[in-house]
Amino acid sequence: MSIFHGMNTTASALTTQRLRMDVISSNMANVDTTRAKLVDGEWQAYRRKTVTLQPLEGKFSNFLNVARGSGGKGNVGNGVKVTQVKEDTETPFKLVYDPTHIDANEDGYVEMPNVDPLREMVNLISATRSYEANVTVFNANKAMLSKALEIGK
Amino acid sequence: MAIESISLFNPSQINPVSSTPKMSSAEAQENFGDFLKSAIDSVNESQKASDVATEKLIRGEDIELHEVMIASQKASITLNATLEIRNKVIEAYQEIMRMPV
Repeated sequence: MSIFHGMNTTASALTTQRLRMDVISSNMANVDTTRAKLVDGEWQAYRRKTVTLQPLEGKFSNFLNVARGSGGKGNVGNGVKVTQVKEDTETPFKLVYDPTHIDANEDGYVEMPNVDPLREMVNLISATRSYEANVTVFNANKAMLSKALEIGK
Repeated sequence: MAIESISLFNPSQINPVSSTPKMSSAEAQENFGDFLKSAIDSVNESQKASDVATEKLIRGEDIELHEVMIASQKASITLNATLEIRNKVIEAYQEIMRMPV
């Protein structure tokens, strides 16, 4: 637990939010992709991806400290990490009537990706704000350390 | 239930003055020099880490921008801490030199 512990924690959060942003970019880019995967000789539309987050556990010594219940420092946490980028299989594909489309079925319907641009925009705002908030935390952290250097000046 | 003793410490915890090892001034200087060297080395280490991160970024390797910024900020803070210590040391030296003999 160094003086940079808080900064490292913030760094993990920033990395996570960047990854969220990347996933949202992928979802938005593939909003019209009908050929994402070839399943049994048939093209399947793109499925929107979601990110699963988990607190970063850190080293063994942290577990030991928590188990011993000693020293609140073992309990402060180490940040956040992405455990998996999962495909959203819950939301069904959107069916669009377009007989001229190359991937239309016999009835003329095309399975479009289950990406909802509105939802992605909301997630985008959330990721951006979260990133900003973490940058603020970082700057506060730095300001605190700089202030400590002024002790005795 | 165990009853704790009233006194905050027992006399055995206090080191007798005689047990502190005597050190010649040359040894003390050497120890201080080593300590200073290792401290400056660790500061240099963070400067190097910042340099490596920056180079990675400009080469277009797989590194996040905020990681580079954070590395440079860490380097800046450790350097500032070193400067602060240097100022204190020089201040103490000048204070001694100003002593009227």
